[in-house]
Amino acid sequence: MSTSALAPPPETPSPPATSRRERRRRKRLEEQASTIPIELYGLRRGTVTAATVCCVLFALFTLVPIYWIVVNSTKTQANLFETFGFWFARPFVFFHNLSLLTQNVGGYGTYLQWLGNTALYAVLGGGGATALAAFAGYGFARFRFRGSRALFYLVIAALLVPITAITIPLYLTYAKAHLINSIWGMILPSLVSPVGVYLMRTYVEVSVPRELIDAARIDGAGEARIFFRVALPLMVPGVMTVLLLSVVLVWNNYFLPLVIFSKNNLYPLTVGIGLWAQRAQGSGNAQLFPMVVIGGLVTIVPLIILFLVLQRYWRGGLLLGSIAN
Amino acid sequence: MPRRPHRSGWARRMDRRGLGFVTPFLIAFGLFMVAPLGYAIYTSLYTTRLIGGTTFAGAANYTQVFETGQFWTGVIRVIIFGAIQIPIMLAIAFFFATIFDLGVAKFGRLFRTIFFIPFAVPAVVAAVMWSFLLEPQFGPFTHAANAIGFHNVNFFSSSLMLPTIIVIVIWEWTGYNMVILYTALKSVPRDVVEAAILDDTPLWKIILRIKLPMVRPAIVMLVFLNVIGALQLFTEPLILSYFQPQAVSFAYTPTLYIYNTAIGNSQYNLSAAAAVVLGLVIVIISVVSLVFRRRRGEFA
Repeated sequence: MSTSALAPPPETPSPPATSRRERRRRKRLEEQASTIPIELYGLRRGTVTAATVCCVLFALFTLVPIYWIVVNSTKTQANLFETFGFWFARPFVFFHNLSLLTQNVGGYGTYLQWLGNTALYAVLGGGGATALAAFAGYGFARFRFRGSRALFYLVIAALLVPITAITIPLYLTYAKAHLINSIWGMILPSLVSPVGVYLMRTYVEVSVPRELIDAARIDGAGEARIFFRVALPLMVPGVMTVLLLSVVLVWNNYFLPLVIFSKNNLYPLTVGIGLWAQRAQGSGNAQLFPMVVIGGLVTIVPLIILFLVLQRYWRGGLLLGSIAN
Repeated sequence: MPRRPHRSGWARRMDRRGLGFVTPFLIAFGLFMVAPLGYAIYTSLYTTRLIGGTTFAGAANYTQVFETGQFWTGVIRVIIFGAIQIPIMLAIAFFFATIFDLGVAKFGRLFRTIFFIPFAVPAVVAAVMWSFLLEPQFGPFTHAANAIGFHNVNFFSSSLMLPTIIVIVIWEWTGYNMVILYTALKSVPRDVVEAAILDDTPLWKIILRIKLPMVRPAIVMLVFLNVIGALQLFTEPLILSYFQPQAVSFAYTPTLYIYNTAIGNSQYNLSAAAAVVLGLVIVIISVVSLVFRRRRGEFA
């Protein structure tokens, strides 16, 4: 599976790109070809400027908090409150703040451990959810069996169920089954992604032709082989999209771990930072506020990098939800 | 065509293979979705007391939920929240998706990437950042409001709390909605738009009369998902309450009420009943909006 996931999206059978720059150039040309030249719309002069200004304004709104967290990750607690929020201040304690993330300050838990936990939950939970969704989406899209439609609608209806109606009973069940403070209590529920199944089914409908599957059957291929060799390579953009969405969903999940974990060495980042934020106000511990800030920064950096790296794989897949109905 | 000597045998084989693909998911779905929901409904029908243990309570917990005014205040609050936040966010998202689709802004790809960044920020971290930015004493935005003449603005006061949360959620989700709308707009066939241009159709008409109707399925899906999210608003108010404990009440949103009732007060039965009621509210609102749309002929 990992080898096919690294292959380029199959629906653009362009010759192998010689270099990164060449690939970029080709992509830009493709984009230009699919866009109607703006002169044709008969736009007034200044439209481009006005549109760009709007983009700049919204980009500022988007980046202000990010800029703020970068600047303030370099400050002491006193400077955090007493100096101008949008500029640096002396002393520059970024690396000191960073080093706090490896320590168990105040006994609330160690950030580094939370980071590891989050990565573990996101990889196992998000990856597992994607695998289950890919199988199920293919099953629902390309097989008709007794009750398949009813089952699919049941899965969609699950979107309407509030997380509280799932999490509170899970907590009560875990208490009886000694799953409180077990990583499986977090990972196993993360495997269920109704949105993932819905997206994968839609994607298979449009990107894996029935004729191809029938042809493989005539050639005598088994169903598992057809899935891995014929269908899966065609599903890569969809799989990447669902993988990214599932990983982000688990990475950012707050409610489930907040309810089920009582030992702080099992916390994911969200619950840990939430705890720090809560205690920083009351405890008077002079290090917690800077730790909340630098902890927040270190939390978002891996995901932003993941997005930028995987961008070209999943963008095409985002459409898939919208073709339904 | 393959030879089919045993038609029923072939059909049954298909049946089994299809189920084989679906079963792993269905097992997880049953254990971690259907079973907990069933248990929530079961629990909501019982009462647990320190003395006397667990007894069947019938609808008593539901009666209590229906009589809890603050639960319904919370329900109305999240409905107002969604009714304001979702249209504003979708309008902004559609506006920028259109700009990028037309290619009328410079550096379109760069802006698209920037707008999507908040999706990578957990709600917890987003709420923490905005708490600092808007903090009533030292927040830079509070200073800015002071500087331009709005003195003593408190973004966390009871009257401004909901607008503050609306801004935070718009910040978090506009980029994601924009990317989906952009991708949908890209799929509008080029010749349709070209024909309109040849007819001298003004640009606003091309956007609102041709493109908008063609991306309606995407918009319907986004409304549906955003409504479900809005009704379960939880993380942002909870984190804000850490910074401003007096600003967010025990039952500020239904999910906060359910959480505090269960985890804070250990009233699991009551909390389960409230969770079931919230689920029914979500179902009712979704069905009503679906029926409303169908009456307007959009699903015909």
